[in-house]
Amino acid sequence: MMQTRNLFLIAVVLLVLVAIPPFLELDWQNALVNILIASLFALAFNLLSGQAGLLSFGHAAYFGMGAFATLHLMQAIEDGLVFPTPLLPLAGAAIGLLIGIVAGFFATMRSGVYFALVTLAIAELFHSLTPHLQGLFGGEAGISSMRMPWQGFSFGSVLEVYYLTLAWVVLSILLLWAFTRTPFGRLTLALRDNEQRVRFLGYNAHASKVIIFAVSAMFSGIAGGLLAISNETANYALFSSHISAQVVLQTFVGGATIFFGPVIGAVSFTLFAYLISDLTRSWLFYQGLIFVLVMLYAPMGIGGVLQHHLRDVRRKDWAQLAGPYSLAALGGVLVAGGVIYLTETVSVLFGEEYAVEIRNAGGVLPNYHLFGFQFDPSGIVTWIIPVLLLAAGFGILMKGRQAILRCWETLGQDQAESSEEAQPQGGAS
Amino acid sequence: MSGSMSNQVAALELRDVTKSFGEISVMKGVNLAVGSGERHAVIGPNGAGKSTLFNLISGQFAVTGGDIALNGRSISGLSPHEINRSGLSRSFQITNIFHRLSVFENLRIGVLARHGIRFGLFQPVSRMRAVNAETDEILEKVGLLPRRDHMAGDLTYSEQRALEIGMTLTTGADVILLDEPTAGMSREETAKAVELIRSVTEGKTLLMVEHDMSVVFSLCDRVSVLVYGSILATDTPQAISANKQVQEAYLGEEPAS
Repeated sequence: MMQTRNLFLIAVVLLVLVAIPPFLELDWQNALVNILIASLFALAFNLLSGQAGLLSFGHAAYFGMGAFATLHLMQAIEDGLVFPTPLLPLAGAAIGLLIGIVAGFFATMRSGVYFALVTLAIAELFHSLTPHLQGLFGGEAGISSMRMPWQGFSFGSVLEVYYLTLAWVVLSILLLWAFTRTPFGRLTLALRDNEQRVRFLGYNAHASKVIIFAVSAMFSGIAGGLLAISNETANYALFSSHISAQVVLQTFVGGATIFFGPVIGAVSFTLFAYLISDLTRSWLFYQGLIFVLVMLYAPMGIGGVLQHHLRDVRRKDWAQLAGPYSLAALGGVLVAGGVIYLTETVSVLFGEEYAVEIRNAGGVLPNYHLFGFQFDPSGIVTWIIPVLLLAAGFGILMKGRQAILRCWETLGQDQAESSEEAQPQGGAS
Repeated sequence: MSGSMSNQVAALELRDVTKSFGEISVMKGVNLAVGSGERHAVIGPNGAGKSTLFNLISGQFAVTGGDIALNGRSISGLSPHEINRSGLSRSFQITNIFHRLSVFENLRIGVLARHGIRFGLFQPVSRMRAVNAETDEILEKVGLLPRRDHMAGDLTYSEQRALEIGMTLTTGADVILLDEPTAGMSREETAKAVELIRSVTEGKTLLMVEHDMSVVFSLCDRVSVLVYGSILATDTPQAISANKQVQEAYLGEEPAS
């Protein structure tokens, strides 16, 4: 039953991904390409971090190398090499696998913090070395190429690139999912739980970890290759720790313990950046804030919260939960309003433009514009608004949270009772 | 029974095994021979080096001197997984399972290893009939069939100990090392565990660390007493409990029941 529901859901998502994009504007098509690439990268990363329990802080290295390898192949095709354009990401896969084996061999000699630090160091090595290797990485400017037509496809439009990306991402996700069903995929989970025991059951733990690392790097390389095809250019910034950190954040916000969790994280972060970065310069601050809140209050990530709610979906009394949830949502919106108000006010008042205005006004604080209104920085109303928003919001949020917890408690009791029905009445109070 | 074994190769033999951690010498020339099919216990006061001995035999630590042989073949210097593949499997004093995997999967990992499927990447594990059937067999043997699909971390303590023993069996080793399999169990649980160990080690060689003398008496053919890194005596349980030297060193503080 669960199986058919999931299959149905996947079919619907696939149908939407195939049918809708032709009707979208160009920049939305582009955004979708980036979302697909980020999703694949996060899933490849999570094979290592979520399933094997090896948290890598340097996955940009394999992503970036995949992009550069693919660009070199594209350049070779421009120079006359015969190679089908749709298979370009194979270059990314090959180089990802190769470098993954070498880097993985050293990194997986250690676990935990030491593993994370070694991966970080390897990525930093790439980041500092590549700008000096003019021939291979094009110095600081990077290298560029063009997509060459193949058979009937020109690969000139974003839509064609989108469908190529979609095909590769769906295929890769299918393979990554199949991986979890193989004996080696199960061993991966066992390694996460207890590496020592795996060794005493006759497995070479180091060799196993190198393979997992290499597979993860290979799919990261495919994601990088797809980025190269889409952008037709790459430079050493692809190796920056920012890229490595981004995939960590996306995976954990989405939920590392659920297969599709990283996709949820990648989609929401990429969409967030796409939609919010035009509106405010503080978007990275908000993104960080969301990460911290998720880690504090939903450490299993968005995917974990969804799974928690979808499990035994029929046995839950949704009508009973609806009230407290809307209450908490209202509180959340008010708190968010207060936080946004304060953040934007601060970024205006301490910004460069406002400093000029103060100087022009001869030292007094002039009114400032925000959200289409005028505010007086020394006026009482200006500061009462956020205080009220935050106070009311927190109050309502707390009330809602209590009600929700109470609801879940009674739900839990109901479930426990219904499962004990068959037994004779005992200690039930 | 020890007499009939002397003319054949011991299943497990330690010759002058020494181990030092820096300046500190913890094994001072251990000699021990466990015959094929024998059930052998190692007893000794706390800090005598029983766990270190197990770590040396199973390859967790490398020996400083001497030699360890499994069925006549030297295994000193081999890594844990190589020793396991040579036919020696161990359990742990502190439960050492895969907490977030199901009971069934905990056992299947070892069964897969026994079938040589260590890097199986091209076939779903659910279709491996022989592996899954064999896993269910072991599950039944250790009495955990009703808990098949529960998370191992959710089992009770004594169930986890049974799983621990089950995992030790999965790789098909004929020499089994059990490290305090009944530690922390109630009297009834201990009795059950003894029966379990007896039945699953039928026809195999067993070396176990055990504190409970009643367990040693009812289960083991011979006992070795380890005191401060060397074997004080090796004999039948009856002879050991009558041994004056042993009583002074160890049993004196806690007479055998």
